[in-house]
Amino acid sequence: MTIGANVCSSVGAVRANLSTEHAGTTLPDATTEFFESLAVRGHEPLLGNARGTLRVELADGTRTERWLVSVDRGDVAVSHRNGKADCTVRTDRDVFDGLARGEVNAVAAFLRGAIAVQGDSQFLVLFQRLFPSPDDAASTQR
Amino acid sequence: MSGALVQILDGNTFVVSDDRGDMEASLTDPTGLFSFDTRFLSRWVLTIDGQRLNSLSTDDVHYFETRFFLVPGTGTVYVDSKLSVIRRRAVGNGFQEQLTILNHDEEPVELTVRIDAGCDFADLFEVKDALQKKGTYDIRIENGGLVLGYQRETFIRATRISSSVAGSVDKNGITFEPRIEPHGAWTTTLDVVTVLPGENYVRRKQGMNGSRAASMEKGLHRWLADAPRVECDWDSLRTTYRRSLVDLAALRFSPPIAGRHSLPAAGLPWFMTMFGRDSIFTSLQALPFTPELAATTLQALGSWQGTRVDDFRDEDPGRILHEMRYGELPAFEERPHSPYFGTADATPLYVVLLDEYERWTGDTHLVRALEREARAALNWIDEYADLLGNGYIAYSRRNQETGLENQCWKDSWDSISYRDGRLPGFPRATCELQGYAYDAKMRGARLAREIWKDPEFADRLEREAADLKRRFNRDFWVADGKYFALALDENGDQVDALSSNIGHLLWSGIVDKSKAKAIAQHLLGPRLFSGWGVRTLAEGEGRYNPIGYHVGTVWPFDTSFIAWGLRRYGFKDEAAQIAAGILDAAECFGGRLPEAFGGYERSVTRYPVQYPTACSPQAWSTGAPLLLLRTMLGLQPIDDHLIVDPALPVGIGHLEVLDIPGRWGRVDAFGRGRVDVETSRAIRPQLGAAPRVARNGRTRQHA
Repeated sequence: MTIGANVCSSVGAVRANLSTEHAGTTLPDATTEFFESLAVRGHEPLLGNARGTLRVELADGTRTERWLVSVDRGDVAVSHRNGKADCTVRTDRDVFDGLARGEVNAVAAFLRGAIAVQGDSQFLVLFQRLFPSPDDAASTQR
Repeated sequence: MSGALVQILDGNTFVVSDDRGDMEASLTDPTGLFSFDTRFLSRWVLTIDGQRLNSLSTDDVHYFETRFFLVPGTGTVYVDSKLSVIRRRAVGNGFQEQLTILNHDEEPVELTVRIDAGCDFADLFEVKDALQKKGTYDIRIENGGLVLGYQRETFIRATRISSSVAGSVDKNGITFEPRIEPHGAWTTTLDVVTVLPGENYVRRKQGMNGSRAASMEKGLHRWLADAPRVECDWDSLRTTYRRSLVDLAALRFSPPIAGRHSLPAAGLPWFMTMFGRDSIFTSLQALPFTPELAATTLQALGSWQGTRVDDFRDEDPGRILHEMRYGELPAFEERPHSPYFGTADATPLYVVLLDEYERWTGDTHLVRALEREARAALNWIDEYADLLGNGYIAYSRRNQETGLENQCWKDSWDSISYRDGRLPGFPRATCELQGYAYDAKMRGARLAREIWKDPEFADRLEREAADLKRRFNRDFWVADGKYFALALDENGDQVDALSSNIGHLLWSGIVDKSKAKAIAQHLLGPRLFSGWGVRTLAEGEGRYNPIGYHVGTVWPFDTSFIAWGLRRYGFKDEAAQIAAGILDAAECFGGRLPEAFGGYERSVTRYPVQYPTACSPQAWSTGAPLLLLRTMLGLQPIDDHLIVDPALPVGIGHLEVLDIPGRWGRVDAFGRGRVDVETSRAIRPQLGAAPRVARNGRTRQHA
């Protein structure tokens, strides 16, 4: 299937991209690890019914970090491209780090205004499936 | 407080006011404008020349629109009829109120018209539990309007109030000083808009004007026109059916954050949100009439299905949610409803609904799309719900502080008891949960074999179901009473009270044929059947109380599923009898069944005694007459046909449900009964106690 081939190539591109961007600056953090492992998976069954593009914009001081996640029935591609998205999620980088570590609940954070969503907010609900459990977070801290 | 509460609503936005249209809420008083589980207006009081008004009448035009006809004066003496005041209020994105004052005098008048406005921004949970706010308030005058604001960290809510006629705005309201000519009128339109951050918090509805109300009215007409028609020689049944359809329309809810279509919310107004159990049960009841509700319920609950272990939310992978809330306390994780997963029945029932939906609609596309979710739900039963390791679903909350103790439909604290009234410890394995699990496995097996093309999985599910049925009929059977125990306790011993739960067991099919007759006899016997319906707990049990919430009252929804269960095991007469009881009760309530009513013997009270409750209509009470129409006509989808096998209670001469949608297109179903002509009116009071049934029925396929 052609989709599979595309996914593989984009995964490769992201991995290369990530390693250059973060080489020598900081160690891979929870957010980067999250997107990196999502890219490596290529197919995510928990998103099997999802189709569309999600942009994540993370404010970190004056800098904004962008991630673009395309999903086609579970086939996932991750990049830093600045393309069009069905849903844009904006939050602070430390909030997203918390999500990626399983310490912050995405829906609760959204309800209290710590995450802003533009477009089809269903993506936030589906995306929450990918974050680790609070119990995982607690056990890694121990 | 002057007179009754008037409620109007649109989605989860609703207004509760007195019969003058005023709101004067305290922290614990449930009046005001609410949206997304937050109060956006707690004070809204109209005065003319400093005087409050008096209500002449209120007119609930639609569920989203009310008109208040008022006059100034104290009400004790009918002083001044020279002025009439009309407040016409429609709910939408907040609400819009058209205020009109008519001067009937031959002299002009100069008036001081004042609207006092204020807001406490209470979370629904705070209204319930009287908690104090943690954020700060901010009141601003902006562009000739008033903005009431509340902020706690990033949590921001605001209410914007403006008027079409300029008034003088201060921090407590707006004052107008109109001069009205003889026989003239003055009018202004007040807009109250709820403001939530994030432009797509929810698809905001455009415009709060006449066209919005008109489009809602059109939508309601379309809803009614699309539903099957019911023809019957019993007027009350037609009234009840129409009431149910209109109420179901009001209860439709498009879940914010995900989803475009509507599912049934649990109850109006305080439970206008996704509830796993209530949305599923109501969708099941409404399947022959409005199958699209089931489709949305399945999709939305599937999107929100649990994927992780989270003790605070009692979440597990595969678990279907219990309740979603949008207010401040869930936002700051002071309550677990974002969403909360503490229900043990919604997950197996999800699979039951998926199968039943496909049997009616033939929508294999959705069944394929939700295969992962259905498999995860089936996996939850064995992987996460078997808390005692004895092969039964049991529940025990992990969130000890704010989680639910009883995670079955009877969720009040004292609902599960032994005969002598003692309460068991946890975990508790209530009997109906095992029935739902059995049914979920059997139906899951059908879907696996026919649609997912996985015969091995189907075989496995059927083996597990057969094993569950065998063990259940052994372990739950109370031999000296000839019924199934209400539950097994934490030691695996029987919680031996006799309850309505045994009726759900018939519906699930888990009951051995040899035991079914004894169960039917209990359900229609004097300890459980009141003449109106089946008591939640049998008379004579330690905790029995005819007005105890889950320990003696009759729940119409409960009885409707029991009627379905009786039909499943061939007890047509008995099903007709209890259907008649509930439909008679509906007649007493003007077609709108309450959540529950007293378990008093019918011959004693002659009238069903309503249980006091804040919520009406309730979705699954609204759905009960729909399911009873199905059971009376014996509607059963088999392949591409709708089988009709009527058994009408005496007193119903003919019953027709026309244009039933399904995989067959649209068909009509007919049933004829035996009518005793000379006593057809007089026998109404005895309907619930005198079963006689018809056997004639047929369908007509549309060209």
